Amino acid sequence: MLSQNFKAMQRIIIGFLLFLLFSCQKEKITIGTNVFETFYLENAGASMRLLVEGNTASHTFLIIVHGGPGTGSFVYDTQYISQNIENKYAVVFWDQRNAGASQGNSNGNNLNLPQMTDDLKKVIELIKYRYGQNSSVFILGHSFGGLLTASFMTTDQNQSMVKGWIMVDGSHNYPLNDTLTRLMLLKVGQQQIDSNKHVSDWQLIISYCNAHPGNFTLKESDQLENYAEKAETYIPEVNQFNLIAAMEAISIEDDLPITSILFNYLYSGNAGFNAALAKTQFSSLLYKVVTPTLLLYGEYDFICPKELGEDILNRITAAEKKMVISPVSGHNLMFQDEVLFCNEVNDFIAKYR
Amino acid sequence: MNLRKFCLTIFLLTIVLYCFARTDTPGRLSDSLNLKASYNSSLIYPGARLGAEYSVKSFKVVKTKKSGKMKDFDKERFVSANLGWYHHPYFHDNFYFTAGWTMRRTKSTGFFTEFSPEIGLSRTFLGGTTYKVDNNGNVSVVRLAGYYYALLSIGGGVGYDFSKIRHKPFMLFYKFNLLSLYPYNSTIYLRPAMEIGVIYKLHFFHHVKSKF
Repeated sequence: MLSQNFKAMQRIIIGFLLFLLFSCQKEKITIGTNVFETFYLENAGASMRLLVEGNTASHTFLIIVHGGPGTGSFVYDTQYISQNIENKYAVVFWDQRNAGASQGNSNGNNLNLPQMTDDLKKVIELIKYRYGQNSSVFILGHSFGGLLTASFMTTDQNQSMVKGWIMVDGSHNYPLNDTLTRLMLLKVGQQQIDSNKHVSDWQLIISYCNAHPGNFTLKESDQLENYAEKAETYIPEVNQFNLIAAMEAISIEDDLPITSILFNYLYSGNAGFNAALAKTQFSSLLYKVVTPTLLLYGEYDFICPKELGEDILNRITAAEKKMVISPVSGHNLMFQDEVLFCNEVNDFIAKYR
Repeated sequence: MNLRKFCLTIFLLTIVLYCFARTDTPGRLSDSLNLKASYNSSLIYPGARLGAEYSVKSFKVVKTKKSGKMKDFDKERFVSANLGWYHHPYFHDNFYFTAGWTMRRTKSTGFFTEFSPEIGLSRTFLGGTTYKVDNNGNVSVVRLAGYYYALLSIGGGVGYDFSKIRHKPFMLFYKFNLLSLYPYNSTIYLRPAMEIGVIYKLHFFHHVKSKF
């Protein structure tokens, strides 16, 4: 009798566990106006999380290609974007390999730009597989995501897969980026000192820039970025963005795996491929881009100065291209000037979808 | 170390610890065996844990305080085998088997503290449909997608042993465990987990039974 009960209980437990597993991984594709669904793309040793939110019935998808490398896409999932873009189109929050909620084993050898470019291509193919081959896809690169989207747009015939390319405070040319950051720090720093604002802070920055004139090592590049990040906070015109506060608002609500995000960020930020990235540029290949392009930059973005956008604008051969500068933004325009961001992105998508 | 070797190591470690325990403490297996069941929560996420612990050593310590008062407590050492699971929506379900060493110190009042390092194997199942796209753009669904990880855990907890004063064959406990999975994206993954559960003493059951 006892062994029969034990066997019955065993069956119930196994059945329950299998139910849990299959219900989690069961394919579910929703076409609707207020969708929230998660799925994964497995590619070259990484299982990358994709969160699709918003209006999939529009058959129009905006893929967020986050910065970092290793930052994760969770931070872009703000209430404002949800209320002002997701009501019209679907937004795809893609955690790149070794970032956010993406998982895998010993896959560090595959953490490189060509592999990530291939990942992005497969993300788009997967979106079209799930929601229809006639879906309109737009890619939006922020910061490092700018380098990744530039790589994607200039590789093979990739750009034919998307209806538009949006760059938000992105970089397509890291050596040029470092040069522009240094020049901006020197110029704005001197203006701020002349206005008697944060004098000692700016003097420290200016002295570093003067001592490191060019041909930057990875260490110098990192230090310039560090100063660029601080410099933004010294400018009173900038709407300051608090990453920690944003994380607190999002983390529990979206079931974010906090430690995964943290360890992925630490690993990717210090991974060997950053040395190769520091020498990477796509300026010479931008002539290939004929797809409609929208460039959004912050007036006070020291990390990716607006002159990077001007370089893209001058080099791409797309007939439809537009650049907008936010006067109140630094490096995170989508949070620092939400109204401008959503209006410009919505108008761009509406025009070219 | 590949996965097969790692599994074999865990298995052999469990056997060795068990044999060591058997030579040290003769008698029926159930005379020194406790069964554990707990709710295994990770922040707000649910889970469960089942396990067994086998007493390897048990001794009484008596100390005299400066005030002259006597203070006594029991020290016990266990080897344990545990099966755990937690569910993190949209991230993964994690099933993990561990073998561990538990050090427990129980006061005469019944209150106890414990510390236990554990080693084991984890298998995750991703929290969503997983796809693979080949180089020709063909898409397929990956069944039971997830990863194996080596797992290390350290945990500490407090509890109350109802057998000390109330002569009931169980203990209640609360324990905090820190799980680490490796290699997770070429680095590690840390996960805090809190257990609230019960430990059932099989040997107590035998002793009580023998009275009748």
